[in-house]
Amino acid sequence: MITKVQKLTGALSLLALGLTACGGNGESDAGSGATDDRQEFVVASSDPVPNLLPGRQTNAFQLTMSVFTPLTFLDEDGELSYLQAESVESEDDIVWTITLRDGWTFHDGTPVTAQDYVDSWNVVAYGPNAFENSGQLANIEGFADVSADEPETEEMSGLEVIDELTFQVTLSGPDSQFPLQLSQTQTATFPMPESAFDDLDAYGEHPIGNGPFEVTTGYVEGESIVIEQYADYAGEPATMDQITWIPYTDTVTAYNDAMAGNVDMASLPTSRMTQAEGDFGEDRIHSFPGPGISFLGLPAWDDRYEDVRVRQAISMAIDRETISEIIYGDLYEPANAWTPPVMPGTPEGICGEYCEYDPEAAAALLEEAGGFEGQITIYFPGSGGLDDLYNAIANDIRQNLGVEAVAQPTADWADFTEGRDEEEFDGPFFSRWGALYPSQQATLRAVFTEGGGCSNCAVPYDDAVAEAIAEADQNDDGSGEAYAEVQEIIQENFPAPPLFFETYNMVTSERVAELPGSGVGEPRLTHVVLED
Amino acid sequence: MSRFILRRLAELVVVFFGVTFIIYAAVFALPGDPIAAMGGDRPLPDHVQQTLRDQYGLDLPIWQQYLNYVGGLLQGDFGTTFDGRPVGERMAARWPTTITLALTAWSLMMVIGVLLGLVAGLRKDSLTDRSVLLGTILAGSIPVFVLGVSAQLIFGMQLGWVPIAGTNEGWPIAYIMPALMIAVYGLAGISRLMRGSVIDTMHSDFVRALVAKGIPGRKIVGVHVLRNSAAPVMTVLAIDLGALLGGTVVIEGIFNINGVGQLLFQAIRQQEGPMVVGIATTLVMIFLVSSAVVDILSSLLDPRVRFS
Repeated sequence: MITKVQKLTGALSLLALGLTACGGNGESDAGSGATDDRQEFVVASSDPVPNLLPGRQTNAFQLTMSVFTPLTFLDEDGELSYLQAESVESEDDIVWTITLRDGWTFHDGTPVTAQDYVDSWNVVAYGPNAFENSGQLANIEGFADVSADEPETEEMSGLEVIDELTFQVTLSGPDSQFPLQLSQTQTATFPMPESAFDDLDAYGEHPIGNGPFEVTTGYVEGESIVIEQYADYAGEPATMDQITWIPYTDTVTAYNDAMAGNVDMASLPTSRMTQAEGDFGEDRIHSFPGPGISFLGLPAWDDRYEDVRVRQAISMAIDRETISEIIYGDLYEPANAWTPPVMPGTPEGICGEYCEYDPEAAAALLEEAGGFEGQITIYFPGSGGLDDLYNAIANDIRQNLGVEAVAQPTADWADFTEGRDEEEFDGPFFSRWGALYPSQQATLRAVFTEGGGCSNCAVPYDDAVAEAIAEADQNDDGSGEAYAEVQEIIQENFPAPPLFFETYNMVTSERVAELPGSGVGEPRLTHVVLED
Repeated sequence: MSRFILRRLAELVVVFFGVTFIIYAAVFALPGDPIAAMGGDRPLPDHVQQTLRDQYGLDLPIWQQYLNYVGGLLQGDFGTTFDGRPVGERMAARWPTTITLALTAWSLMMVIGVLLGLVAGLRKDSLTDRSVLLGTILAGSIPVFVLGVSAQLIFGMQLGWVPIAGTNEGWPIAYIMPALMIAVYGLAGISRLMRGSVIDTMHSDFVRALVAKGIPGRKIVGVHVLRNSAAPVMTVLAIDLGALLGGTVVIEGIFNINGVGQLLFQAIRQQEGPMVVGIATTLVMIFLVSSAVVDILSSLLDPRVRFS
């Protein structure tokens, strides 16, 4: 009998050993940081890791921006500087000459050349590759030929190598904003070394870039990604020695771990915005104004919304200030223009009284327009944490305009996109655009022109707007004033009430002294400063 | 005997095709276009969307898509996700974590459940007995999400006894709390079963004989009663193991444990058909195989099962 008991104990301890073997493969103590002077930074990432090839990544901007150095860089004030490029010049805004800095190398030691850029862009644009970010190169002449399903050529006619460090880009039309389209979030413009092209899938898990950090531990399913400072980096060295991304699926769990100091930075989930100040204190919440803006899209295909006064009345009935305070802890900024203020030259306040909360004027304006028949149903993508926002807007409309209003979530993103693109919604809907570079052009073109990218975001489309944008593309001197004039036309049309200017919000551990931003709302991880 | 095993295996094949088809059809029936939704609110260029749809055969009728999928599956190919990674590899990387979690939960459920049942059975109708019943039912009826988040805040954040999230600190410390949360839901059943079994055994003749022989009470309970009454509980525990694997989805999310549960959650959100079907099928197969093995084993032990 004793032997049987012993056997049972033996079996149990074997089981325990097996468990230890399974579970013991984790890294040691990721969050505790430096043992010597080494500066280590740990980030909680809550999105699934995409393919990390810069022409494909869709949500790994922080990582890609650390491993690659862009040709041009936009700082927090929207000022453009040149990093990998020494200059980007053009006489006519059509043919652009890009000159690279000498002496820069990829992490595999090979020099960064003009040929690498041309090869990389051709690969990204190549139709059968179907790379997610290929649209960023669509302005280059010959893009359509290369991006076809069965392309006859693998090279865009608009790209020409002049010498080792110089290449020429011919655009399909004049565009004064081209240097901005080479900045840090336009990851499709990043260079890849020759070695990448042999096996693009492997490269997508372990990219080799030209930036201040090199990838030491690439993508491994469910594990952390680690990058370390690249010793031979020719640019300004980063402040950190190492950055680690730990994957999380639940943003609230990441938030809790940041509070406990196990990670140095996590994004602030919407559901925690009102309590974040109590949990972290003001200094550890970082709010970056981003190049994103949200609207309340209105169905141009429904004639009840045809009268501009109806659209303006709805806008005036929404109490943006209170919504921001109650739901977002004042972290969202009420919108009063048609592009976010980080975009140079944005005419802030152009929306005027129509973006101000004024229930009486709103009701009077709706009355003047002949009232509203039926119910207002607001559609938004479900399971994205937007319920509170749209319920609040529906309440405002119901109380202030005396029209029955409800907020109706769709099943998910895919369902929402389909409803909006197919013009199936019979009421207002979620509408948002996050631009990739802070020029008014990026928002105006995407939202207010047909086929601009954000389909049906703010309809009806007006040809006058498209023409005015094209004109500004040629004329703008970098101040954005030419685009500000476009906003006057939009203001007259009032296609969709602007709601909020977007902010990207991060919480940090006590170790972080400074978390600088960049012109695109993302923190600049290469310049983080830790407490001593 | 071999006929019984054959019949059991034939059933398995039918269930395999049925389950994979139902899950595949369910993912297919989700509204919206997964490729269009891939870029979020920044849609992918049309030519990219079309090429991806062609590559993944998303424009084909469902039966053809399903046949393609099963064809690959039979050759051991689970398909690829929309970003071009093999589903099989991704699952393989995550299964050990989930199995570790489920086995830990299972062991905790066994040890705690058996002990609670033993105590309750020995002190039938006492205050202890009632408290065990009340306590396990109460704990089991709190939603797993509430229980998980509360435990995380109290033991992880405020007391700092266990890590808040992640598996970096390895087994056992990183797995204890999430495993306990999963185990709680089986405790009520296991402890009740054990209690009844203990009461029966305590009234059996051989225990009375042992008492008459003057064997100390502790030895009677520890050696004889425990072993004899645990037997029926073990059968239930064996079947529970399969169910536990499925129960890890929510807990993996709360405690950020990178197992298949999280992968499944992400895949459903992104409508990655091959991934959802792959994980769900593997879960179902584990459940089926484990219950088939239990059936076959018990038929070997008890011929009545074979002919029923």
